[in-house]
Amino acid sequence: MAAPRIGNVLCRISNCNFTSVLLEKINYSRSSTCLLQIRHRQAFPPAAWYVKRKTTDLDENLTKENEEFLDDVMKDVYRKRLDRVFSPLEDGPWKRNEYNRYTRRTGVLAIKIGVVPQWTKEGKRFTTTMLQIIDNHVIRYTPPEKFMKSAGWKPWWGNKYGVAVVGALSTNPRIYTKEYNNLFMESGVPPKKKLTRFLITENAAVQPGTPLNAMHYRVGDVVDCSAKTKDYGFQGVVKRWGMKGMPKSHGVTKTHRRMGTTAGGKFKGGIWKGKKMPGLMGNRWRTARGLKIWRVNTKYNVLYVTGQNVPGNTHGFVRVMDTKLPLRKPAPDNPPPMPTWYPEDATEPIEEEYFDKDLFQFTEESVKFAEGKK
Amino acid sequence: MLRFPYRARPRKMSRQRLPEEGIIVGQEGRLQRLRQLVTGLVRYERIETVYQHCDETRGYAERLIHTAIRNGDQHQHTMEMADYWLNEKDLIYKLFDVLVPRYQNYSSAFTNIYRTPIVYPGRGTEMGILELKGNPWPDVLPKQRDNRYVISNVLLQAARKDYNTSKESRKTKNELNSSSENSET
Amino acid sequence: MASYSRRILPCFWKTTKLLTFEDSARRVPCRYHQELLPTRNYLLPETVEEHRKSELSKHPELPPSITSENVPADFRFVYPEFLPDPQYDRRDSIRERLEREDMYRRRAVIDIPEFYVGSIMAVTVSDQYSPNKENRFVGICIDRGGVGLRAFFILRNVVDGQGIEIMYEMYNPTLQSIQVLKLEKRVDDKLYYLRDAPQEYSTFPFDMDPIPVPKGSTVPVNKMKVQLNPRPWLERWERQDLQGVEDLKLEQRFYDKAAKVAKPWEKYDLMKWYRENTNEEERDSIMQEVHQRKRLTDIEKSKRKTKLAERKR
Repeated sequence: MAAPRIGNVLCRISNCNFTSVLLEKINYSRSSTCLLQIRHRQAFPPAAWYVKRKTTDLDENLTKENEEFLDDVMKDVYRKRLDRVFSPLEDGPWKRNEYNRYTRRTGVLAIKIGVVPQWTKEGKRFTTTMLQIIDNHVIRYTPPEKFMKSAGWKPWWGNKYGVAVVGALSTNPRIYTKEYNNLFMESGVPPKKKLTRFLITENAAVQPGTPLNAMHYRVGDVVDCSAKTKDYGFQGVVKRWGMKGMPKSHGVTKTHRRMGTTAGGKFKGGIWKGKKMPGLMGNRWRTARGLKIWRVNTKYNVLYVTGQNVPGNTHGFVRVMDTKLPLRKPAPDNPPPMPTWYPEDATEPIEEEYFDKDLFQFTEESVKFAEGKK
Repeated sequence: MLRFPYRARPRKMSRQRLPEEGIIVGQEGRLQRLRQLVTGLVRYERIETVYQHCDETRGYAERLIHTAIRNGDQHQHTMEMADYWLNEKDLIYKLFDVLVPRYQNYSSAFTNIYRTPIVYPGRGTEMGILELKGNPWPDVLPKQRDNRYVISNVLLQAARKDYNTSKESRKTKNELNSSSENSET
Repeated sequence: MASYSRRILPCFWKTTKLLTFEDSARRVPCRYHQELLPTRNYLLPETVEEHRKSELSKHPELPPSITSENVPADFRFVYPEFLPDPQYDRRDSIRERLEREDMYRRRAVIDIPEFYVGSIMAVTVSDQYSPNKENRFVGICIDRGGVGLRAFFILRNVVDGQGIEIMYEMYNPTLQSIQVLKLEKRVDDKLYYLRDAPQEYSTFPFDMDPIPVPKGSTVPVNKMKVQLNPRPWLERWERQDLQGVEDLKLEQRFYDKAAKVAKPWEKYDLMKWYRENTNEEERDSIMQEVHQRKRLTDIEKSKRKTKLAERKR
């Protein structure tokens, strides 16, 4: 029932028939002082538009059948919306525009699932990172005029870009707050575990509720992947900046892994700004640009992308976008699906896997080199 | 396969003092301590120690029972393990004659683990209880209250009935429609 | 019963007397501290797995797990690279499945035979720098490892008085054929100690004729003992519990040190084994799948052969 802030109390002293009073997941009264220092890590107050996501741990005392009933209702509601067909009476499908060289399409929010080796047709080995796209939907689109007036806008963006919010991983709405769940009313999809936004041009606007999948990209396209790097915590100078440290022996005491001098003398005058020192390492947004898509699996929605250096751990979220590199982004004479790929676009039946023309497929015969060719 | 979340890396456990062998440090000392705990768990089916030790012991005890269930007592490796992990040798019979038949058809973990509250004033160590399921002792958790007649449950139960009946009626209507269409064609 | 109550009861009295909700102030970090604490910037494998199966949206159907196959007991030693990397934070079911799919495809094209550490093998690879664009090497397999598409094996031989070792990737497309000249096992898992043995132990002629093993017989174990060269060595072989080596003829202090460094308790560490290996249930289910796929490809291959034979007639 109306749960106290204490949380999930398993028993009380009065009706306890065993030794100890057992508590699980208890939110104790929180003290107002911080006893531990965590160096370099700062806690900022949440932004004004930030919507609180998770509800507090509620002990609703529901029976098992009632829990199941609530789950059933939830599934029925969202399944109906999944099979929804847009009727012309309501806001019908949006107009689809041509791709031009200024267009910036929406990206997808993928999950990094691992690194595997692949081979070219010349027998050369290279590594690829596998990115899976699970449950991606466009949640909201804000046109440039409206976006200009919002708090997250930066003046140098001008009026070129609108914003598409993309979410990944559908979840149970019961664990989220009402405010957070209301964000998904417009698109009609279940609340997502992770949201991200992409700056897109107006001609690439996508209707909220549109699913995004691996067919958003084609084999041979080049993408940028940005994600949070691995969190190493507070690290010393040897690991963080690759400094050499000092010798292990020969009279060295207590300075094996410390940096040397921090500053020069005379007119250099003390420590310069940006001196490389110990501190928090990792957990920052980084972008790997110009990664080619070698292979696409349409059944499991997996992209095989060049290299093993997509930032972050396995099962980290990765923002995958069309590349910004001017010479490698999709050309207008070979336009990508605009604004995204729809199942009704398919002229031929979709294959399970698409391969790049230079990539060795494992169904082929072994690589053989012709005479006279080097 | 273990059916509960376990730590990706083992915990370091403090050095262990044994009456005969003196202080044993490091990995070996850790295993000595865990042996004592596993033996105690199989003997008494419920033990109470530091929570971290309970958590470490849990994996070893469950793995031992798993191997015993999988390989039986005619298997050399399994018998070696049982011999090592059970300090009191009469417990080897208990493992194969009592615990294996008890857990053969389980689809969940064989043990339960609980946190006990921290005693104040005291050392502040987190204590825990580890028990084998199906033990003869009274439950660790007290009897839960009957929540069926809490107002939210009563209301939800009624709603469930309504929902199911409306669903069924819709289904029958659809069936009727489809059958009539079929007959027309 | 007595010891049970000794363990439990003191705690009982303490708690009932002293503990109330307000008193049991566990050291839970305050709000500001919680915000400062590092949060995981990735998901756990189980969470991703839940979302892949969640009924809130449409997901591809996974093929059903196979239980009907009759897998021989030592089948998993023939295909060790199909077992996934047991490191917890690298596990992913879809990645493993797709990787295995690639391996089946490659195995359908070329024949990767059964071999073990200690077998003598001949490998042909295409090499654009050699005169006839091909290279054949014969040697003894001294190590085998890697997981999935990274699987490899190392061959060792002596050519012109020079020891040579080549590492081959098993799924590399330049690999044209693998032939097992002599199928046998050795008593050790790795034969790196051949580097410190006289060259006659790792010398094999390149024109060696394959020695066939009768069908249905078990793989023979070669219990040959190697006499190592005197020290210095590349590794401290006395510290590795080697079975295929003659008495090392060292001073006593070496054996004393080896006994001091040895970790005889490690084989009893059940959780260590569990963390570093794929567990039995998962292993069985994967081997079922591998066995089924192998059976099907074998049938297809034999069909193709008969067709070819008919055409020739």
